[in-house]
Amino acid sequence: MKISMQLNGELRDVEVDPRDILLDVLREKLGIKSPKIGCEKGDCGACTILMNGKTVRSCLILAVEADGQEIVTVEGIGRQGMTPLQKAFVQHNSFQCGFCAPGMTLSATELLSRIPHPTHEQIREALAGNLCRCTGYTPIVDAVYEASRKNGKRTTGKRKI
Amino acid sequence: MAITHEFEYLRPATLGKALKALAKYGRKAKVLAGGTDLVGLLNDEILQPDAVIDIKAIEELRALEFKNGKLQIGALTTFSELLESDEVRRKFPVIAEMAGWVASLGIRNRATMAGNICSAVPCCDSGPILLLYDALIHAKSRDEKRKIPIAQWFAGPRKTVLKNKEIVTGLSMPEWDIPHAACFVKLRRYEGEDLAQASVAVLVDKANNYRIAYGSVGPKPFRGAAVEALLTGKPLNEALLKKAVELARLEIQPITDIRSTKEYRSHMTGVMLERGLRAAVSRLAGKGPAYGASLI
Amino acid sequence: MTDFKTVGKPVSRIDGLDKVSGAAQYVDDLDFGPGLLHAAIVESPFAHALIKKIDISQALKVPGVVKVVTGEDFPYTFGLYMKDRFIFARDRVRFVGEQVAAVVARDARTAQKAARLVKVDYEELPPVLDLAEALKEKATLVHPDLKNYGRCPWFFPRPDTNIAHWRKTRKGDIEAGFKDAEVILEDTYTVPRYAHCAIEPHVIVGLYDMAGRLTLWSSSQSPYTQRHVFAEALAPLGLTHKDIRVVTPYVGGGFGGKAGVSMEIIGAALAIAVRGRPVKVRCTRAQEFYNTYQRQGVIARIKLGVKKDGTITALEHTMHWDAGGYVEYGANVVNAAGLSATGPYRVPNLKIDSVCVYTNLPPGGPYRGFGYSEFHFGLESHITRIAKMIGMDPVEFRRKNAIREGDTLAYGAKMNPNGLHEAIDRVAQEIEWGRKETSSDPEKAIGKGFALFWKAPAMPPNASSAAFIKFNEDASLHLMVSGMEIGQGYLTVMAQIASEILTVPMEKIRVETPDTDRNAYEWQTVGSHITWSCGNAVKAAAMDVRDKLFEVVHRAHGVDKKMLYLEEETVKCRGRSDFAIPLKDFVINGIQTPHGNFLGGPILGSGMFMPEFTSALSDPETSQGGHPNVHYTVGAAAATVEIDRRTGKMKILKAVLAVDAGKAINPDLVKGQITGGLLQGIATVLYEDIRYDLKGRLLNPNFTDYKIPTAKDVPVEIVPIVVEVPQPDGPFGARGVGEHTMIPAAPIIANALEDALGLRLKTLPLTAEKIALELNQISYDDVKGHYMGLCFLGKPNEYDFKMRAK
Repeated sequence: MKISMQLNGELRDVEVDPRDILLDVLREKLGIKSPKIGCEKGDCGACTILMNGKTVRSCLILAVEADGQEIVTVEGIGRQGMTPLQKAFVQHNSFQCGFCAPGMTLSATELLSRIPHPTHEQIREALAGNLCRCTGYTPIVDAVYEASRKNGKRTTGKRKI
Repeated sequence: MAITHEFEYLRPATLGKALKALAKYGRKAKVLAGGTDLVGLLNDEILQPDAVIDIKAIEELRALEFKNGKLQIGALTTFSELLESDEVRRKFPVIAEMAGWVASLGIRNRATMAGNICSAVPCCDSGPILLLYDALIHAKSRDEKRKIPIAQWFAGPRKTVLKNKEIVTGLSMPEWDIPHAACFVKLRRYEGEDLAQASVAVLVDKANNYRIAYGSVGPKPFRGAAVEALLTGKPLNEALLKKAVELARLEIQPITDIRSTKEYRSHMTGVMLERGLRAAVSRLAGKGPAYGASLI
Repeated sequence: MTDFKTVGKPVSRIDGLDKVSGAAQYVDDLDFGPGLLHAAIVESPFAHALIKKIDISQALKVPGVVKVVTGEDFPYTFGLYMKDRFIFARDRVRFVGEQVAAVVARDARTAQKAARLVKVDYEELPPVLDLAEALKEKATLVHPDLKNYGRCPWFFPRPDTNIAHWRKTRKGDIEAGFKDAEVILEDTYTVPRYAHCAIEPHVIVGLYDMAGRLTLWSSSQSPYTQRHVFAEALAPLGLTHKDIRVVTPYVGGGFGGKAGVSMEIIGAALAIAVRGRPVKVRCTRAQEFYNTYQRQGVIARIKLGVKKDGTITALEHTMHWDAGGYVEYGANVVNAAGLSATGPYRVPNLKIDSVCVYTNLPPGGPYRGFGYSEFHFGLESHITRIAKMIGMDPVEFRRKNAIREGDTLAYGAKMNPNGLHEAIDRVAQEIEWGRKETSSDPEKAIGKGFALFWKAPAMPPNASSAAFIKFNEDASLHLMVSGMEIGQGYLTVMAQIASEILTVPMEKIRVETPDTDRNAYEWQTVGSHITWSCGNAVKAAAMDVRDKLFEVVHRAHGVDKKMLYLEEETVKCRGRSDFAIPLKDFVINGIQTPHGNFLGGPILGSGMFMPEFTSALSDPETSQGGHPNVHYTVGAAAATVEIDRRTGKMKILKAVLAVDAGKAINPDLVKGQITGGLLQGIATVLYEDIRYDLKGRLLNPNFTDYKIPTAKDVPVEIVPIVVEVPQPDGPFGARGVGEHTMIPAAPIIANALEDALGLRLKTLPLTAEKIALELNQISYDDVKGHYMGLCFLGKPNEYDFKMRAK
């Protein structure tokens, strides 16, 4: 069946089987390779995408469910040059192998849109679903924190939990 | 890895159409909301339905509101929505506390509370909380509409009393009318995303009514009747706490599996009950750890 | 000390932008067009069985199936250090999940469906799941044909047993040493298997084109070694090294798991089977756990003798390794441990036995730390215990016995220059050793633990590296090497070395990921040796380039080459301040003479490095006589932990690790190795807990039940310390640090646990559950149920280490 979605700001049509997983369709039929295949069980977060502004696991979504939805991946967020978050990641040598980086970047992006000036605790909570085996997370968390402090006007984090 | 079993995908725009489809396929249909459990089961070929009925287009299932003294949670309400709802945080902070411990953000953004109880795994986080509040599960088929008390809902691991042609439209629970506080304690192998090794939910009010519920220490979440009977009517003190812990360990039926030994589950259920009760009592007094703080 | 421009500076990674922008391509991201075929693997459901018959007829009937391949199609053996595997199991399967056949189809779904239709008749054999069972007399043999296997010369298998290799190291007089001892402590420590859990699963795409070239795009740490193993295994088909090409783009983490050849052999074979069409094999997460490599489990007996003044007199260290069904790589882990299980101490009298045992569990293999993490747990626990027995401070005890430059190693060679004592002092100071801390929460106890560590690269004596450099018109340059960027920052460090010598800024250097057709040779990216070895090769290549630059300038301008030097991308001349020839003016097009002709041409350079002093030839009964290791990297670490007495849950308040990098080419990346490696190590202590059932089935091949840490599971504070005592033969004095940062994690936590609660646990992991139960007088071993994390069924202290084979 044919579905269409707003993908990184473009309306895209694609023919899918109801059994197709969104992650596979993005990668194989739509040429979007930044969401990665890590566990295919929703455990690792490598396949994270933004769906209607919220991070979701594209390995746990049928492609047909994306019909009519708005999807953003890392390919879609650096169009006007690197974001302050991406710049901070580079400066902090935040990533090693980089395989988790797209998912991590989207989780952090969602966090900063919800809570512009998060605490370290809020950052760790927001990134806890994105597994990284290389870095020990510290340089990633530090970069998000630093990027958020350059994030315009300062407000406090929304709430404790 | 791919889903190999063929099925029809339906996305009805109204509840009526969904019920019609369900009537047609019966037990060969699976209802899809967040999909965080269902898609995994399809991938692993544990489920092989003929039809998958996606209910996300049905607007009326989306409600999350407080009306007539009751919290109404639509079938499509996600854990993130529960966590972010001011109404929930004000009137049922323990629901937000529980939602905060569910998986991780990318899952909470998608997973629904209704889906959580329909999956009915013994470690489901919603179960104990809904038991505290005597929640009702709203189920509907083409022929009938019923409200199932949560205490009767679970029929065993991954089993509920929901009929083949029924759909869960939502849940409701009354506000506790006496000033009260509650606590949800979840035992996990680490701080990150995990399924509960054991969980304890407690509620206490100014009239010394107590509610206790457990998860992951029996085939389904259940109320701690013996501990409730012991405590009800009495203000909490050290001797009572000690007795409650002993009783709790007697009224649970933990098993040893890959996530924990029954000995640790038993030991920790006692510890969690004790800390949960202390936290709830001090919350009731306007002190105590903030909702969401880890007690273990 | 020389003032460097780039070396020693915390420059940003040159791959940073690729990775945050989504531009970085990993193997699975490469496009192969609509002709790409997909494979699904038919796996053994049994740990040990004979294959009686394979019926592929039903699978072949599925529309979309292109080919079904079994062992009969590829009756060839392979293996890195020992040829003990077939490409597909032939007569016998040796672990649950082993490949028996594969289906190639036009799409993954069809392949998966058809794979279920391949019918295999098995005759079950008794599985060897228990080390004691494996080592008993008349044990069921996992490899009855062991004596016929090709192997490297430093392995010593015992035919007609399950002993695949036995490394014996002897020094001094062990009996006299124990006679001299005033206190002797003997105990058993056990370390289960672990999984690497790189977030990128193994994937390989193979294309055997109609002209006879086999190209493999592989998520690998070892492109050249893979090519060599493929060439050896496929030689019967007429393939030679020049016909095989391995291309490796970015790799999503390795940790040793993508070294050597594991599942990749399937990709190579299937490509040949479907000649002319590319075919992809990608591990599922479950396969990643059971059919690549795992870290081997080990049970170790340590007997240590000391004098009351703290002097070590003798050490007997016996290790029995559960190496799994195939040891083609894992036996070298056992070997490495057997040469170095003294730890970084002076031990005059020594007896080490490191025994590699075949079992019917998934194959063991290389994992960050290569045997050292495993033996350091027991050894460093033991050191703290014996220090306390003689009333000596454990750090003082370590200072007294810590190895120094020139000391004689276990196998007779001399210890390299090192900063171990500086590391001890700095860690002790940072952790405030000796200051007892108490928790503000009465239910919690705080303790501190300390450990030393060391490790040498485990490599063949002639493992080597090479590098090419080529200039572009604007004097930017390409560095073509074949080490792997597995996250450690290798590309950046190599660029820094070239930049330093050639004065070309970092932003003008591109380091290519490997392609065995184009880039220079590299043995493997393992053993924390790549900064040292390939760094030397890159330095040599840069110096080669520099010589060529000077030669051209000399020929064109008649200046003495000895007076030339490079500064800011310009050739300058001492004593002639006006002499300056920018590189961009001549590195491609040469220098014009007054006659109008040009001298020079495109500047290319090459360099290589091989340690010429190493030898694996030694007495098999004592290991004396050779020089198997190039050098050791050493360090010290400590932790302060807070433990809840009721729940057993542990919070690491502070972890400190000092490692002697010789020279940190990029201190920020060294620190990245420390924070990342320590957490990976800590996870093996606190969370990761592999489980098999009694049929040898892995029960938690997923992140749902094999818990690797999240952003919420990190120590409150990690303090990385970089010590720099130069390695004489290292580039700018550098030596490797990648694995070392993981090694001390287990003992620092075990020692801190004992310090906090008086509880000494000797079996990893030290989960909250285990700690809480022990504090309630429940032994975890009594209640854990029918789960095996270790390859023996009884209790560790009942394990019999007596060896029957000679």
